[in-house]
Amino acid sequence: MANMAKLLEVRGLRTSFATAAGLVRAVDGVSWDVHPGETVALVGESGCGKSVSALSVMRLIDPPAGRIEDGAILYKGQDLLSLSEQEMRQVRGREIGMVFQEPMTSLNPVVTIGRQLTEGLELHVKMDSAAARTRAIELLGMVGIPDGERRLSQYPHQFSGGMRQRMMIAMALACRPSLILADEPTTALDVTIQAQILELLRDLSRRFGVAMLIITHNLGVVARYADRVNVMYAGRIIERAAAAALYARPRHPYTLGLLRSVPRLDQPTRERLLPIEGQPPDLTRLPPGCAFAPRCAFRVARCDAEAPSLNEVDGAEHLAACWESSRLAGGARA
Amino acid sequence: MASYIIKRLLAMVPTLFGVAVLIFLLLRVVPGDVVEARYIGQGSQFQSQELMQLERKKLGLDQPLWRQFTSWMGGLLRLDFGLSMWTGAPIIEEIRLRFALSLQLAIMASTVATLLAIPLGILAAMKQDTWIDYAVRVFSIAGLAMPSFWLGILIILVMLIVFRWLPPMVFTPLWVNPWENLAQLIWPALAVGYRYSAVGTRMMRSAMLEVLREDYIRTARAKGLALKLILTRHALKNAILPVLTIISLEFAFLLGGLVVTEQVFNLNGLGMLFVEAIARRDYTLTQALVMLVATTFLLVNFVVDVAYAWIDPRIRYR
Ligand SMILES: Nc1ncnc2c1ncn2[C@@H]1O[C@H](COP(=O)(O)OP(=O)(O)OP(=O)(O)O)[C@@H](O)[C@H]1O
Ligand SMILES: [Mg+2]
Repeated sequence: MANMAKLLEVRGLRTSFATAAGLVRAVDGVSWDVHPGETVALVGESGCGKSVSALSVMRLIDPPAGRIEDGAILYKGQDLLSLSEQEMRQVRGREIGMVFQEPMTSLNPVVTIGRQLTEGLELHVKMDSAAARTRAIELLGMVGIPDGERRLSQYPHQFSGGMRQRMMIAMALACRPSLILADEPTTALDVTIQAQILELLRDLSRRFGVAMLIITHNLGVVARYADRVNVMYAGRIIERAAAAALYARPRHPYTLGLLRSVPRLDQPTRERLLPIEGQPPDLTRLPPGCAFAPRCAFRVARCDAEAPSLNEVDGAEHLAACWESSRLAGGARA
Repeated sequence: MASYIIKRLLAMVPTLFGVAVLIFLLLRVVPGDVVEARYIGQGSQFQSQELMQLERKKLGLDQPLWRQFTSWMGGLLRLDFGLSMWTGAPIIEEIRLRFALSLQLAIMASTVATLLAIPLGILAAMKQDTWIDYAVRVFSIAGLAMPSFWLGILIILVMLIVFRWLPPMVFTPLWVNPWENLAQLIWPALAVGYRYSAVGTRMMRSAMLEVLREDYIRTARAKGLALKLILTRHALKNAILPVLTIISLEFAFLLGGLVVTEQVFNLNGLGMLFVEAIARRDYTLTQALVMLVATTFLLVNFVVDVAYAWIDPRIRYR
């Protein structure tokens, strides 16, 4: 059974928000998966639905405005959408850990570091407080925070941004989950610290065999740390490939644009960086055709009439949702 | 922490001095003094000026202002409030029992207000925009709309008619007979506390709604914590501070401002004494009352500030 090999499989996920401006289709029929131990990236511009995808997996979309309308989220073969709230709490933190984007605001300012680290352990692993403390000190050591004993009684404001993010990672890892959802774990940090945090995440995920979903808008991050990549645009996945293949042969104009807009470490860049022209579409009124068409240099008549679906373009592992993807096949990079 | 506490206590001194100067001058700017008040009260405006001057001299009102002020200050430093200009009795004797009553009533009413405001505010926030939220709102607004003396009369009537029982009408200090004492004060405390819970409830609700939108609440949920633990450990501590502030501000008013409620429940508190002291131009008594209320107010504020520092570690030692 192919399903059994997958740790997480999201199928046809549709999440929307009722707002004053209308229904925002933040995630619009998206499918992706994560194999055990693997690192998968979810990439795209701000507002394309990356966070909402991860929060949907955790079932942290707040009603009544937000709603998971359709789809299935199979974790170890079981549909998380069919679980009761109480059963779902056993999954959060225990099976799936989450690292958030904002280390400054994602830790409770009036609760000690120790309390925030141990509460998950006491809840899920049923540790007593002494055992939980010992484990918490061990966890802090693992994420590179020395002197854990003293640190446990401190508060988040006594930690720097990078240390807070390490602390978040320690919290996510505490109960030895099988999967970590890291939502832009480094966006809020200094460039030098970003690399440290990403290295840390990679080392720990390898050491403990934890699978990881890294959400980012930085393709540079993807190249170094991810095995496979899903590129998202306006609530849909428009390209999926192994990281190396995506870099070498992008088959969607949007991916191509993204690649041109970030500095690349693997090429001596004298090329100018080219931002993608135009604005991401309004998610309340998506066009009937391809959502990227208005910004696309490869646009043809068909693009406005009909939205392309995600199809194999280069073997079963490389998929793109573009009518013109064959035009990108042979070195359209110039 | 200790140095912070000492610093805060010392900072109260200039504030109190300012209050003293202000009330001292304000009283004397208003036309009329205790001598006039007394004779006008007796219906004879045409008392001989000499007699009145003599009386003023006896009370020290003929002295230059700075003289009057320094002798008052000197007394205060020895914790001596002096004599009432109207009755001639030591002020401390006039105030003692009344202050005990008013302080106890203010504490009890604030406690009632807190005990109503916090759970109701949390409930309303959790059930935002449902009928429960609206019910809490109606309950609060009803409390604001009903004058507490009216509610007090209602309480007394209900107890009289339904239970054929009346709360004691004479004040017994807590230390003399706690039961008698509570049987009398619990009713005005409920009536007043209910009224003053309204603002606190609204505050608690909005603070809670705000806190529940914070990122760290999402983090707590992502750890799999149950709602109850999220509320008690992660949300409440962050949301409770503004409510504490509101209730502590109301406290000062409850201490000296419950004139009508005191009358409904036949309580000899500070409120009525305040009104009388001002009407009689009893400078010394008014000054003493103002200083007492101001000091209590500052102390309550100070306690709240310490509570802030205790609850929110980011404030500590500043
Ligand atoms: N609670 C909400 N209510 C209404 N709309 C929402 C809500 N949360 C997200 N959205 C909308 O859903 C869309 C996708 O949001 P999402 O947070 O997933 O973006 P993102 O890809 O994570 O972007 P970023 O890089 O800025 O984090 C956005 O258009 C956003 O406005
Ligand atoms: Mg996001």
